[in-house]
Amino acid sequence: MMHIPLLPLASIEAVRPVFLIIMGVFLMVIAWRLSKISAGWAARMIVAGALLLGFGYAIVMPLYEAGVIERYAPGRTHYHGAAATALAWQAVKLVAMNCGWLFFGLGVALHAKLLSIPARRRAINSPTLASNGSVA
Amino acid sequence: MDLLLEIVLKNGLMFDAVGVIGLGLLGLAAIKLARRDQSWGGTMMSMGAISLLLARFYLLVSPHIIDDSILHMIGPIGISLTIALPPLLLTLGLAGIVWGLWGHERWLSEETR
Repeated sequence: MMHIPLLPLASIEAVRPVFLIIMGVFLMVIAWRLSKISAGWAARMIVAGALLLGFGYAIVMPLYEAGVIERYAPGRTHYHGAAATALAWQAVKLVAMNCGWLFFGLGVALHAKLLSIPARRRAINSPTLASNGSVA
Repeated sequence: MDLLLEIVLKNGLMFDAVGVIGLGLLGLAAIKLARRDQSWGGTMMSMGAISLLLARFYLLVSPHIIDDSILHMIGPIGISLTIALPPLLLTLGLAGIVWGLWGHERWLSEETR
């Protein structure tokens, strides 16, 4: 079996949880600073998503990596602890990570005005009709 | 187990779809930010969103398509790539999104000052 140096580099056990914690906290801090500049629903969505993601990345994922929480697998029948606990944490993880990304993505989309009609198309209405009429 | 809980948790389809929609929106919004404002934060964010989407897609698809014949075909380097690449993509994607958001926030605060 060949050993590739990339493999241990990508899966250092001690570094990844620390990285996840730093990223989660940093994400929450940046979202809070961003919410001071922008206003309305975009800021609320970004902060809500960042809080969920921060909870997921800074608390739940490191606990999984440390082995405090058992991984839930559909076919698995034997757990060291209670199976219901593993299932509940799986539900918490799914909700926090996926709803976090949804809220965060929606917030950034609102912030970028992705979901609104472009101003150019809105301004076209009456002036172009008048000019077209005069040409015709 | 309750039927609804079973559907939601065992397949994970609903939550995965929610996450993928969110990441897609994030990527599109980041591309729009990068094009409209010429801020490098948007580019970083879209790169991060794309790599997170790639890793998520691989993790979703791999149980269905990867079997022994494919593993035999791609050889030891390919096998170690399948092990090493998804965590690397997840890590780089998260870092890209956070870094891009930071850059965009700094750009915005300089703009409004």
